[in-house]
Amino acid sequence: MNLATLAAKNLWRNRVRTVLTIAASAIAVLTFITLRTLVFSWTSASEVAAKDRVVTRHKVTFVMPLPKRYVEDVRQAKGVRVATFANWFGGKDPKHDQEFFGTFAVDRDTYFQVYDEMVIAPEDLARWKEDKRGAIVGDALAKKMGWKVGEKVTLDSGIFPNDPDNPWTFTISGIYTTTKKSVDRSSFLFRWDTFNDALPAAGKDQVGWIVSRVDDPSQAANIGVALDKVFDVQDTQTLSQDEAAFNSSFLAGISAVLRAVDVISGVILVIMMLVLGNTVAMGVRERTFEYGTLRAMGFQPGHVAFFIVAEAAFVGAIGGLVGMALSYPVVDQGIGKFLEENMGNFFAYVGVPRHVLVLALVLSIGLAIVASLVPAYSASRIRVTEALRRIA
Amino acid sequence: MTDTTTSPKSYREPAASAPILISVKGVGKSYTRGGETLNVLQGLDLEIPEGSFQALMGPSGSGKSTLLHLLAGLDRPSTGTIEVAGRRIDTMSEGELARFRAENVGFVFQSFNLIPVLTAIENVELPLLLTKLPSAERKRRAQTALRVVGLEDRMGHLPKQLSGGQEQRVAIARAIVHDPRLIVADEPTGDLDRASADEVLRLLTKLSQELQKTILMVTHDPAAAERATVRLHLDKGRLSLGPDAHPVARAETSTSEAKAEAKSKPASEESPS
Repeated sequence: MNLATLAAKNLWRNRVRTVLTIAASAIAVLTFITLRTLVFSWTSASEVAAKDRVVTRHKVTFVMPLPKRYVEDVRQAKGVRVATFANWFGGKDPKHDQEFFGTFAVDRDTYFQVYDEMVIAPEDLARWKEDKRGAIVGDALAKKMGWKVGEKVTLDSGIFPNDPDNPWTFTISGIYTTTKKSVDRSSFLFRWDTFNDALPAAGKDQVGWIVSRVDDPSQAANIGVALDKVFDVQDTQTLSQDEAAFNSSFLAGISAVLRAVDVISGVILVIMMLVLGNTVAMGVRERTFEYGTLRAMGFQPGHVAFFIVAEAAFVGAIGGLVGMALSYPVVDQGIGKFLEENMGNFFAYVGVPRHVLVLALVLSIGLAIVASLVPAYSASRIRVTEALRRIA
Repeated sequence: MTDTTTSPKSYREPAASAPILISVKGVGKSYTRGGETLNVLQGLDLEIPEGSFQALMGPSGSGKSTLLHLLAGLDRPSTGTIEVAGRRIDTMSEGELARFRAENVGFVFQSFNLIPVLTAIENVELPLLLTKLPSAERKRRAQTALRVVGLEDRMGHLPKQLSGGQEQRVAIARAIVHDPRLIVADEPTGDLDRASADEVLRLLTKLSQELQKTILMVTHDPAAAERATVRLHLDKGRLSLGPDAHPVARAETSTSEAKAEAKSKPASEESPS
C-alpha cells in the first residue's frame, strides 16, 4: 500500500455513488467526443483538402455558373497541370426521395485525373467513357441503394428541367472507392456532355466550377490570383481559391452552428466538473473525521489534499477512459456509420480523431482535479481537533 | 484525598526515578466563542514519567480532551510550555507538530477511527506510510503489531467484519506500530461492552508494563481508571490527583496540584472537552 493506492481505495467506499459519478463522467466525455468528432468530420473536408488543387468559381457565389470556355483558359495558365469541371445537378432517386446524395455532371476525360483519390477499375472507366448515359457511383451509395453495375437509375433534378420524354436515366458503369477516408463515397457522377446536350440552349455550355491541379502546391495561391486576373476583364469575374478555402466557403453558412456545437461540448464537461465537485465535497464532509484521524497520526495537510485530489483524478481518469472506450461502438460504429451512409455529403467519414480522444481524457482528468481543489483546500486547512470532534 | 492505592497487583509501578516524558508548566487554553473568551484550562503544571499509565477523569466540559490534545501535540496552549520527550511542542509549527506526532505519539479513539475501506493490516500500516521504510518492512511491522494485540488471524478483515473490541485492538496495533513513546487514548472503552473493554484495558496495561509505553487515557469509566497507575481529575480546568492515586504519582504531581489549585479559575461549561 502507498499513498496513491490509499486514495484509489477510497473510491470504493460508496460504490453506488462512485459508479454513478463515473457513469456521469463517462457520458459527458462520450458526448464531448461525439460532438467534437461531428464538428471535425464536417470541417475535415477543408482540413484534408489537396494542397495542389485550385478551385475557380463565380466571383459572387458558387451557385452561379461560369462559361465553359473558361476551362480552356485555365488549362493554358502557367503552372496548371490539368483542369476539370463539374456542375451540381441536384438529383434524387424518385423511388427513394428521402435519400440524399451528391449528383454531379463531370468531365469524363479529366475528372478522375484531378480527383485521383477516387479509384475506379480501368474497365469500368472505359465503359463509362463509351456510354453517354453511363454513371459512376460511390461504393457506399451503391451499397445503400442496392445498385449494381449495369443497373438503370432514373433521377429527378431539383434544378434542371425533367423531361418525361427524355428522363435523366443512367446506367451504372462502375463503382468508385477512395484512398482517403475523408472523401465522400456517396456521390453520383455522370458525363457532363450528356448533361449539356439535354439542357435548353440558354443553359448550355456553362460549368459550376473549374478545378485545376498545379505543379507546385506552394504556388497555388499565386496561380489562383493570376487566374482571377485573366477573367477580371471578361464578362464573368471569378474567385479562385485553394481547395481548403473553397471547401470552407461551403461551411461558412453553418460556422455559427459549428461554433455552438463546440461550445456545447465544452459546457457539458463543465457540468461534469460541477457534478464531480459536488460529489467530492460531499465525500469530504462525510470523511472529515477520517482526515482528522490521519492528521492526528502525523499526515500533513498536503497529504489530505493529495488524497482528495488524487481520488477525483481517478474518477476523472476512469470516466474518461470509459467514455473513450464507448466512443468506438457509439461513434465509429454507430452514429458515424449511420451518418456516412445517410449524409455522406456532409459527413464523408466519421471517425473519432486521436487528438479528440486525447483532449477528452486530458480534460476529464484536468477538470476533475480542478473540481476537487476547493474541497481539498478546505479539508487540508481544518484544525485537527475540530475534525476529530466530528466523529460522533 | 487519601494516600491509599487500589492499583491491581499486575501493574508495574513506575519507578520514582523514571525519566519525565511530559512536562507541563503553567499551561492555559482559552477559546473565543461569539466574542466571549472561555478559559478551558488555566495554569496547569504536570509531570508524567515515562512508562506510566495515567488516567485522566472528570465531568464533561472539564477540559480533559483539550488537555489530551495539548499533550499529544494536536493543539497548542494559549499560555505556558509543554515539553514532550525533551522537545518543546508548544512552539512548534503545524508541520513540525505533525512530524512530532508521527514519530512520538500513537492515538486510540473512542470510535476506533479505522479507515473502513482498508483491511486490518492496511489500517495498522497507515502511520508507517510516513516513514521511509520499504513496503515489505512496513508490512512485517504491521503484522507484528497485530500479533501483539492478538489479531494475527484477522489481518485481511475489513473493519466491518470485526467486532467492536477487535476494531479497538486494531486501533491499538495502529497506535504502536511506529513504536511511539506516548500513547494517548480518548475514551478507548467508551463504545465497548465490559468484556471487550477489559480486553482493551489489559492490552494497554501490557503496553505500559512490557513495552514501557507511556499511556495517557481519558475516561469516564472508574473501572478503566482503576487500571491506571495514576488517576488525575480535571474539573473546570483544575487538575488534582484522584482519591486513590498511587503515592509515587502523588509525589510527582503534588507541586503541580498545588500550583494548579492556586492558579486555576472556573472555566465555562460550554468549553470543549
